[in-house]
Amino acid sequence: MIILSGKPLLEHSLGMLRETGITDVVIVIGHHSEQIRGHFGRGASWGMNIEYVQQGEQDSIADAILLARDRFKGLDYFILSYGDTVFSKNIFSNCLASFSEFKKSTAVVALAPQTEFYGNVYLDDTSRISRVVEKPKGHAMGNYVLAGTFVLASEFFDLVEKNEANVAGAFNALSKDYGFYATIWEEDWTDVNLPWDVLQANRILMNGWENATISRLATVAPNVTFTGPVFIDHYAEISDGVVLRGPCYIGKHCYIGNNCLIREFTSLGDHTTVGYGVELKNCALFGRTRVGRLSFIGDSVIGQDAIIGSGTMTVNESLDDTTIEVKIGDRLVDTGLTKVGAFVGDRAVIGASNTLPPGTLVPPGSRLPHRGTIG
Amino acid sequence: MCGISGVVGSSDVTKRLYNCMLNLEYRGYDSCGMAVLSNGQIDVRKNTGRVAEVFEKERFSEFRGRLGIAHSRWATHGHPSKINSHPHTNQNGNIALVHNGIIGNYLSLREELIAKGHVFKSETDTEVIPYLLDLYYEHYGDFERAVRATIERLEGTYAFAAIEAGHPDRLFCCRNKSPLIIGTGKDANYIASDIVAFIEYTKKVVYLNDNEYAIVSKDSFEVKSASTGKYQQKEIDTVSWDAEQARKGGYPHFLLKEIYEQPIALREALEIDDEKIKALAGMMDEADRTYLIGCGTTFYAALLAQYYFKAFAGEYAPAVNSDEFRNLCGVDERTLVIAISQSGETFDSLEALRYAKANGAKTAAIVNALGSSMTREVDFVIMQGAGPEKSVLSTKAMTSQIVVLTRTALWLAETRKSLPPDELEEIKAGLGALPDVVRSILDEKPGFIRRIANRVGRFKKWLYIGRSYHLPAALEAALKLKEVTYIPAEGMAGGFMKHGPISLVDEEMAVVVLMPPPENEELYRSTFNSVSEMKSRGGRMIGLHFDAQESVFDEQMILPKVHSVLAPIPQLVAGQLLAYFVAVLLKRDPDNPRGLAKSVTVE
Repeated sequence: MIILSGKPLLEHSLGMLRETGITDVVIVIGHHSEQIRGHFGRGASWGMNIEYVQQGEQDSIADAILLARDRFKGLDYFILSYGDTVFSKNIFSNCLASFSEFKKSTAVVALAPQTEFYGNVYLDDTSRISRVVEKPKGHAMGNYVLAGTFVLASEFFDLVEKNEANVAGAFNALSKDYGFYATIWEEDWTDVNLPWDVLQANRILMNGWENATISRLATVAPNVTFTGPVFIDHYAEISDGVVLRGPCYIGKHCYIGNNCLIREFTSLGDHTTVGYGVELKNCALFGRTRVGRLSFIGDSVIGQDAIIGSGTMTVNESLDDTTIEVKIGDRLVDTGLTKVGAFVGDRAVIGASNTLPPGTLVPPGSRLPHRGTIG
Repeated sequence: MCGISGVVGSSDVTKRLYNCMLNLEYRGYDSCGMAVLSNGQIDVRKNTGRVAEVFEKERFSEFRGRLGIAHSRWATHGHPSKINSHPHTNQNGNIALVHNGIIGNYLSLREELIAKGHVFKSETDTEVIPYLLDLYYEHYGDFERAVRATIERLEGTYAFAAIEAGHPDRLFCCRNKSPLIIGTGKDANYIASDIVAFIEYTKKVVYLNDNEYAIVSKDSFEVKSASTGKYQQKEIDTVSWDAEQARKGGYPHFLLKEIYEQPIALREALEIDDEKIKALAGMMDEADRTYLIGCGTTFYAALLAQYYFKAFAGEYAPAVNSDEFRNLCGVDERTLVIAISQSGETFDSLEALRYAKANGAKTAAIVNALGSSMTREVDFVIMQGAGPEKSVLSTKAMTSQIVVLTRTALWLAETRKSLPPDELEEIKAGLGALPDVVRSILDEKPGFIRRIANRVGRFKKWLYIGRSYHLPAALEAALKLKEVTYIPAEGMAGGFMKHGPISLVDEEMAVVVLMPPPENEELYRSTFNSVSEMKSRGGRMIGLHFDAQESVFDEQMILPKVHSVLAPIPQLVAGQLLAYFVAVLLKRDPDNPRGLAKSVTVE
């Protein structure tokens, strides 16, 4: 699971739903199903009523949608949300408000840096979506795209079935036969598909922070310095000489060693231990990780239960200021960013004194040995 | 689009009723009215004009009562009048009614009622309803039955609300294909065409379906089927959003909404009756000289029109800033002054028109807001019909004004035979295709423009360059950026650059170049030369053009092809979006920039 500011991504969405008064949720889960169920249960502690449906490995979005169908029998409209999208504000309020106006199926549309991954929409004069063009190949488009949040008429399930699991086709049929409207989202948002999207999501969530929050149950040494919206959660311990520059999040039961420098947009999941003199910047650590003394973690994402040895450097820029490429599978993908660190999977172990070049991908469970100068 | 509302309460409701009517004002208004029942009498006051104006004229502050209905109207065609405004009453005034929609069979109903001796006061379709209510009330002695019987006779779309003098504690309303919603409040109940009317008083709503009517009193309501009279069980919903969000209808800002309404606004402008355009062209033809006046964006619309009048009809009709008009221009009986105004209330333009009139000149205007001062003060007016423009920045009103002026220039050309007929037809065809062209820009380009905005939005100084037709567009695009982002931006003629301003250009300057289409070879070349000059000085060059990728530009927006004389218009739309996205990037307030008012009614 992706954990930002102490919460899995899904929890941010569920929180927004609850704010708008929606408490009955069906989650279609694939991998990480145990973790998700384990974390959320039936949703009782969040005041929600959560049901789960398990999808198969090869299932598409359309399959996933159809799996939930039975739970929505008898309802006129339902909300559909793609779980891996992050918005800066409550996207469901926005969508519902517009739905109240249109009284027909409504989709959130927004502008995306790359339109090839999304359904591109065409609008008519009355905010109606007249056409959806799914994932156009090669032909760059500048349209608004479907941003993964919808209020849909329950007939949509039938349309997905009829269109042989082609979701774009189902949307087009919805538009033609039942009406499909757009509400434009102009604020920050991101899909989380690629590893560096996590950093963008983290920024989006933290950007709106205005206040610093320090739990009464946290222990903060006398000469610790804060600026900006710093969030220190329960039972965290901050040692002498630490400098915190918000927005940043120090999770429950974290330990921050002497003289660490924690800079903007750092999110430390619970039970993260950070040794003496570590610098953290624009990074997300999902939790239960040890970061050894005198390391630098910048523009990086570290999974749960990882161990980062002392003196680990995540180099985060090229020498000539070009954008960083990351090898995913056998492809080299341009991140479009000039500052990119490392992406370390859950349970990875990185030995001491390792220097990770920009864009390094460390698979979950890997072991990198200590780097010694002797022997 | 009209709005009806009604309030019934346990204490005086007139202020709330007035506010409901005011809240629906965003939909537009050319006339409005209220009917309030108190002490067994129905007091009806209505007139043409904006809600606040009519409030003054008809002294709405004097209304007192616990039951009332209200109506506000926005018509895109036709002349509003006091008699035609709502509420309408029956002959002896004990029934008052407001209506939204069209009664399809009103003529035959009218005839029938006239035959029975009823005398009508207005020409509206609405008036038949209170007369029918009267007829059936006489017949059945029960007002609810009368309502049902009336509904049975009506064909068409309607939502109406009625009050009857002998029923001081309830209002009767009905919905059939026009929207109507009930709101249940603490000590009053509301009805309206839109939740926006009463959302500040209550968020608890009951939705009526078609062919249902309701009897609403201060603490209860009954909804029944119009055909069977059977009671309908209704749920009370609580809305969780606020009025402001609702009015934007799916857009984060009115500015974006109105940019997106341009295809409709352009279509409306294209459908304005030819006779009206001809009449304006005729006035120009007759006059010895014509001035086109405006302020800000409308001045730039006038400036573009000046180029068109010269190019199509050989007519020199200078565009003049309204506020400088009397200092610059001599007027006499052989002069025509055409003012361009969205609000029709712009002080400087009104003053210029009055000066013109006082000196014997003929006056005309192209205006968006019906019932505004300008429409009453000029000799001839063309209403644009672009719909209400809420954002302080003018977008759809401007492009709509340009279409009206272009059509006028084409008519003048036709009259004077100054353009070869096939060229004339080509331009007309190009004009007719504009709504679709704008639509395609709005559909397919925002992503690109926003990316450009994100990359250059932090430049602290901007230049917008254009030549010929593209100059007014450059000036206007610069104005848009200035208005909404507060960044200094200057529009300039390409030719003017080398006479001084070129020294401003360095690596901190963003330069937006409005390139003409390549077919226009000479213009293209001369504009292009300016581009190279500025690039060599380090300026960040942003091209709005119609051709394939040009490496000289650091950023470019390639627009769909249009007829070369109309090329500034897609560039205007791109300029609007660019300003919008930069404003969003810099976290400005696109709808309410600091220090600006929508209509400048002061000097």
